[in-house]
Amino acid sequence: MKSLIRFAILFFVFLFAQVFLARNLDFGYGMQLFLLPLFIMLLPFDTGVFMLMLLGFILGILADSLMNSYGLNASSLVLFAYLRPAVFTLFLPKEGYDNLKDPTLSDMGWRWFVLTYGLLLSIYLSWFFFLEVFRISEWFLLLRNTFMSFVVSFLVALVSQLFFRKRLVS
Amino acid sequence: MQNLVAFLIRFRVFLGFLGLQLLCFVLYFQFVTYPTTVFMTTASDINGALLERKKNLYAYFHLMETNRTLQIENAQLRGVALDNYYRLQRPEFYKNDTLYQQYFNYIPAEIIRASSDQRNNYFTLNAGKAQGLKKGMGVISPHGVVGVVYKVGERYSLVKSILTSDINLDVIIGKKEIRGLLKWNGINAKIGSITGVSRDVVVPRWSEVRTQGATGIFPKGLLIGKVLTKRSMEDQSLWDIDVLFKEDLKNIHTVYVIRSLIADELETLQKDIPLETQNRP
Repeated sequence: MKSLIRFAILFFVFLFAQVFLARNLDFGYGMQLFLLPLFIMLLPFDTGVFMLMLLGFILGILADSLMNSYGLNASSLVLFAYLRPAVFTLFLPKEGYDNLKDPTLSDMGWRWFVLTYGLLLSIYLSWFFFLEVFRISEWFLLLRNTFMSFVVSFLVALVSQLFFRKRLVS
Repeated sequence: MQNLVAFLIRFRVFLGFLGLQLLCFVLYFQFVTYPTTVFMTTASDINGALLERKKNLYAYFHLMETNRTLQIENAQLRGVALDNYYRLQRPEFYKNDTLYQQYFNYIPAEIIRASSDQRNNYFTLNAGKAQGLKKGMGVISPHGVVGVVYKVGERYSLVKSILTSDINLDVIIGKKEIRGLLKWNGINAKIGSITGVSRDVVVPRWSEVRTQGATGIFPKGLLIGKVLTKRSMEDQSLWDIDVLFKEDLKNIHTVYVIRSLIADELETLQKDIPLETQNRP
């Protein structure tokens, strides 16, 4: 119950941070800061894939309606949620996943977090920008936006993991 | 039947994934194809009110800048006001409304949400049906053209910025008034591109790009930017022209929506063209 309230608060923190903070940052060169995938990443190990997809969809639609991106975020977040269990199995530690732990940097270590979140985020961003541009002829724009946004989003995710280490340990 | 149930159970995760993706695409196509619906966009009342609060907070950061632009504009407008001119020739008969007819009205509005780094960018304005906005009206800032009204809510509206791939604005270049079509390639928010200019036309660098005013949305001759570079397009005898926008589209806060008093007349006139002649090349 305690964790339910915590994640409900976290849901709105991520939503408003994305809409009112991250979207107002103007880095240029196609850099965009994506915070929403981190929320889906941080949900507990025993969350079902349907629950993940549903949360991703709701979060994405709410963010989309505030950012005029009409379903782009929702679609990408549903893909992120759908692939999360598969990628977690791919990087399964020897002793398996402990349900008492959270999929965070402090619980699972650098190697696991960088690999898992890096792979999922790159798939997320590729899908997002592919849908947004929707033209192979604009491959330069697609690659540049994906790469630059990956760098900035990944760095911010790592830094935030270091900062909020204490709070996320229940 | 049993097979179907077994299939559904086996692929339930993938089917759930597919269903949600389908829903996303439905929303996407609803946004693109039905411009009258404002549901789930920033032109809806709830989202608009939320963003207006945010704007009220952020507006303090650029008060100085906004003030300065308005002051400059005021000074310019005072300069052209008729009161400032001494009439050299005094005509015996002068009736204002037979000589001039007003074509355009300007409705002031504020931008409460903007983006410049997506492939297709939109602005949200804090003016809607209540202020007399309609779909297809032109939007300008003190420095130049900004976009075209795309969706109109009760109190808020959505503007398609010139930073979209299919804005297709009619423009004229330079003193010779070469006609072209303005588009955006998505790479740099300061630079747009013009197509449709034949390669045998000389386009000097830094010649001014202005609105054509053919559709009656914008007055003729509003500044958009200047020609930066031109390249010849592959496999076509056309120029691909880069335009440096006059307006910094990342930093606009106040705009004017243009209400054209002749747009209806133009539209009814063009309706009278018989369909057969329209389709003939």
